Amino acid sequence: MIKDDPIAEITPSSEVTRKSTGSPSNHGLRGPHWSPLREGDARELGSHTHDSLDELLSDVQVTSIPLAVRIEILQSGLNVALHRWPKIEIEPLHLPKSPSLMPHWKPTRQKVLTFGLQFPEGASLLAKQAEDEKKKAGPRAEVPDDGPPKIEIMPDYQPPTVASLVDGLTEQKPKQVTRIKPPDDALAIEDRLFYLLQPPLQSWLAGQEMIMPFEPFPYQYEGIGWLFAKSSALLADEMGLGKTMQTITAIRLLVRSGQARRVLLVCPKPLLPNWQREFRTWAEELPFVVVEGDGERRKLTWTMPGVPVLICNYESLVRDFAAFGEGEFPKFDLIVLDEAQRIKNRTSRTAVTARALPRRRSWALTGTPIENRPEELGALYEFLEVVPPNATPDLRQLQSLAKQFILRRTKNLVMKDMPPRLDRDAYLELLPAQKSAYDMAEKEGVIQLNELGDSISVQHVFELVLRLKQITNFDPLTGESAKLDRLEADMEEIAASGGKAILFSQWTKVIDWLAKPMEKYGALVYHGGVPTKQREPILARFKEDPDAHILLMSYGTGAVGLNLQFAGYVFLFDRWWNPAIEDQAINRAHRIGCKSQVIVTRFISKDTIEERIDRVLTEKRELFAAILGEGDDTNVSLSMNAAEIFGLFDLKARHGKGVRSISPKQS
Amino acid sequence: MSQGNHDQFRLGFLTAVEDAERGFVGGLLITNRFGRPLEFQCTAPVKPNRTQQILYGPTLKPYVLGELIGRTLLEKVGVKPHLVLVESADLLDLRNATSTAVAALAPLPTGKSPKADNRQLEKSSPNVIPFGGEEIEFHHSHGEDRNEIEKLAKLVPIDADLREPFERIREALVETIRLSMARPA
Repeated sequence: MIKDDPIAEITPSSEVTRKSTGSPSNHGLRGPHWSPLREGDARELGSHTHDSLDELLSDVQVTSIPLAVRIEILQSGLNVALHRWPKIEIEPLHLPKSPSLMPHWKPTRQKVLTFGLQFPEGASLLAKQAEDEKKKAGPRAEVPDDGPPKIEIMPDYQPPTVASLVDGLTEQKPKQVTRIKPPDDALAIEDRLFYLLQPPLQSWLAGQEMIMPFEPFPYQYEGIGWLFAKSSALLADEMGLGKTMQTITAIRLLVRSGQARRVLLVCPKPLLPNWQREFRTWAEELPFVVVEGDGERRKLTWTMPGVPVLICNYESLVRDFAAFGEGEFPKFDLIVLDEAQRIKNRTSRTAVTARALPRRRSWALTGTPIENRPEELGALYEFLEVVPPNATPDLRQLQSLAKQFILRRTKNLVMKDMPPRLDRDAYLELLPAQKSAYDMAEKEGVIQLNELGDSISVQHVFELVLRLKQITNFDPLTGESAKLDRLEADMEEIAASGGKAILFSQWTKVIDWLAKPMEKYGALVYHGGVPTKQREPILARFKEDPDAHILLMSYGTGAVGLNLQFAGYVFLFDRWWNPAIEDQAINRAHRIGCKSQVIVTRFISKDTIEERIDRVLTEKRELFAAILGEGDDTNVSLSMNAAEIFGLFDLKARHGKGVRSISPKQS
Repeated sequence: MSQGNHDQFRLGFLTAVEDAERGFVGGLLITNRFGRPLEFQCTAPVKPNRTQQILYGPTLKPYVLGELIGRTLLEKVGVKPHLVLVESADLLDLRNATSTAVAALAPLPTGKSPKADNRQLEKSSPNVIPFGGEEIEFHHSHGEDRNEIEKLAKLVPIDADLREPFERIREALVETIRLSMARPA
């Protein structure tokens, strides 16, 4: 059904079923596009201009336009086959008659989610002078009894500035702040925040909470912060840069921040007094106990509660660890191995014991992480538990681990302002008796070696080298010594100017022999033959006695860990096989705190084995410097290998009628 | 001796960082008198909605940082501080919502270091008290705080850097945001 009227019918229910003509009207109402008037609207509209809706609608003029297509298609837009009439629904719109209120808004307290962490309570240690300080502090420190505890005013201590320690530095430096960084392996948010929220090291150490005898250097602050945040760390600073002080201060921070309650420090026996002294200097409030005495007493010491720091030597550690049953050895929050190259051989008892110690953190200290072979570093990594047991990391892996776990600074890098070290090589002609003894020994020795033929070993060559080296020191028959003559001449001058010198030799016999001629310069002897208890007083006397001008030391005992920076002269009476050890020895004097230059004299006998050794070592040093750069010249294999030791002599074995060169046996 | 850090004088530092997308993240650090941390509490990001932004206007920030964040953190913290320091006097109204004394660090004179001539500065307000190397202001309607703060001031070393802990909190908050964003949803 098709009607011409645009609106067929409007019912109260607003439902109209209709078909439009689709014709546009003059009033804008057109075919399928008109908007249906709602009843109310129509009524309202009508009430204004027309009497009724019918009247309004009658005004609408409708004009039909013939279309080319059937109207059904236009109307529905749907397929004509459907033949369905469109349904139009009309709903009344209720326009508001008066404004209504929006929903009320009332400020309510939003719930805020929180996250928190409490910090472990640090050890409560009283500074030794706490009572005196309170007395000194005066009225400012007086706080009513019911109030919080009294402030501990620090004594009128002015830490010496860097400038006062090292000449030539200006006093004014911008305030430096060293923040502790979270370690790379700390992933948990609590762990990272723990480090981030620690105060700058300077405010911990600058007299606010911990008294420091000297203000640390900036690189030392860095080292302390680095150690503090590491559970596996190898501090490999060059000798003399203060590894001891950095370690003690980091331990102090760990104890004070509640991170560690039991710390074990293991060092070579000769260094025990040194560590005790350093602990007293750098952490006066930190109680420590040395593991010593008989077996029972040592066992008691190991299990003694309430001791934050235990110090022991490698030998007692190995012995006592074996004495405890499995799983009975006390646990430690931190174990520090000093001179950690002691565990470079990973199958040694010391290394096996060190790795078996129950611990949460492992630190290793050494100035020479690699003495001979890169594998030695692998053994240290194994102690640090950063490689699996028996792992053999290749060079690339070693380097990548080094970036993460090793901190190494050289003097060249950090101590540009330190007084210089002047090296002078004294080439000496052997005295006549020495010369003939030397020539004879060499000739006989080489003949003997040649006769050994293929059964020759490094040990045989070594023995000859040692015999010849001893003769270069002095002729065993006559006691003639070119080196002693030169030493006496130098010492006369040094003693006259009030200076102090340290002399190193490989042999205790040489040291004892030198003691007599050096008596007039107040010579003191310090080597492995001197009982441990007597060693500390010897060092103290050397420092304090103005008449003690020379300290005679062996490389083995005196090369590591001692602080003798008041000595301005170092004599290397004979040469060690490895320049790294020689450097360690020299650095007893040339280290932080030395106020003037250190003159190092190496005695080298001309045309002897010493000159040849020196040449090999110099060439090696130059080679490594060329490859690795000048910045780090001790972290490499510098000691002589078997082929180099053989090369000191032109050794040939008889081979039929002719001869052939003898080369070292591969073990 | 059983007396540990937690028994000593405790100072709170309250601040927040604003993340453009996530809103404000607040942190409260409780330290001993040497600045060593005892407890840290921080909030999840708080983002004011549009209604709050319109209705609170310029007071929005003090409201969010003080009443929402500050009050929540102070309620939550286990090691209660004797005094809470804030960086802006806008946040002093937090004092009305807590029983803990609250004080704001006086703004830094431009071009001067924190401690420079602070002692000579004329007191601009009767509610200003010297504290450490700084001057701090307490809430004008809480006059009773003066005595307490003056007593506490004696416990703070003169060379204590009272602005530094705020840097630590900001760094920790940035780290918290960074970690929470990196964490898979």
